[in-house]
Amino acid sequence: MGKMAENQATSDKLASLGVCMRRVAEDRDKHAFAKLFDHYAPQLRAYSLAREPGADPIADELVQEVMIRVWLKAGKYNARLSNLNTWIFTLARNCRIDLMRRSNRHANTINPTDIFSQIEDDSPGPFQQAQISRIEESIKAGLEKLPQEQFEVLTRVYLEGKSHQQISAELKLPLGTVKSRVRLAMKKLKVLVTR
Amino acid sequence: MTVTNHHPTDELLALYSAGSLPLSQALCVSTHLEYCDACGHKLRYLDRIGSTLMQKLKPSPASAELKVRTLEQLDSLPEKQVETTSEVNSSLPRCLRQFINCSCDNLGWKRVSADISRVELWRDNNGAKVELLKIRPGGAAATHTHQGDEYTVVLEGSFSDEKGLYQRGDFLLRDQNDRHTPVATRDCECICLAVTEGPVQLTGFFSRILNPLIRRAYAV
Ligand SMILES: [Zn+2]
Repeated sequence: MGKMAENQATSDKLASLGVCMRRVAEDRDKHAFAKLFDHYAPQLRAYSLAREPGADPIADELVQEVMIRVWLKAGKYNARLSNLNTWIFTLARNCRIDLMRRSNRHANTINPTDIFSQIEDDSPGPFQQAQISRIEESIKAGLEKLPQEQFEVLTRVYLEGKSHQQISAELKLPLGTVKSRVRLAMKKLKVLVTR
Repeated sequence: MTVTNHHPTDELLALYSAGSLPLSQALCVSTHLEYCDACGHKLRYLDRIGSTLMQKLKPSPASAELKVRTLEQLDSLPEKQVETTSEVNSSLPRCLRQFINCSCDNLGWKRVSADISRVELWRDNNGAKVELLKIRPGGAAATHTHQGDEYTVVLEGSFSDEKGLYQRGDFLLRDQNDRHTPVATRDCECICLAVTEGPVQLTGFFSRILNPLIRRAYAV
């Protein structure tokens, strides 16, 4: 499949998932919910397993938690602000933090979701849907062009949930090198907009 | 929305977006985000990077049983989520309200010097300490250094140190190499959210007596 056709297929898929999302929000439609489940559950499991390889029960728990939040928060999902994939990512990130803290018997009674909540359900931003897809495409292209060493550090931060210190120990690199790889990757992905 | 001039670095925002920051630090970033559109804008972009990376993972199939179990659970859920955050402090950043369920004045401030009061909001199991600091108008903290990092977000009023002036919403990170002497602006008291990560370095016997910011941290 050519790049254009591939992009088209991706955006068609996202549009149909968006329709499911609206049915869940407005009609509490369980068939639509099941379609969302089919699409996102394998991704969510992969995300959980990236951090805790082999931990299938935890991966299943994350799927369940995230999908239930999708059902409960469907009305708050704001298609103008973020696309569905990004929204699901933020829910997954928050749930993963939540589950990790719950599994730690010394954890304090703090609610991580409260800390991150304004990001999930903020008021509409200036982005229009077309702009959002354009940004998605540029991120995808940018990630493909990143030097392997920067991509690796970024993956460890985002998917394995590692701190810079942990990454520096694992890769036997100075902390400063890890930080500068993250910074360079951000720069390449054009995060460093001038303020 | 206030215009803020001091922001978390891009690497710190990326860790926040990835969910890799300790919650105490994430709390400071969240607080800043409630004041800062520029960082909010960046964060949405960073979340998209995370989402794209997640989609690049090789999917791991879910069992039919998991699907049935999840669908069955939907019927037992409450139709509407109960909002738990208190409305007492609508002037406070939303992410702090889970710690504060009364008016700020009744928080049980403890005086640590003539100029400074503090109240501990939460302590994480990694030793990180989350607290509010109140500096009286024109009041100063003694010059201090710290072994761990110190994160500060200005909630009310303003203060300055050797490096600049910090106003509502501003985010500061000071590490062990920084020595600083914060002084509150003359016309009003200054309230900050402060997170201290590691034990504070005591450089000598006198610093213990002279330095209220060192005494307030890890003194218990
Ligand atoms: Zn900012």
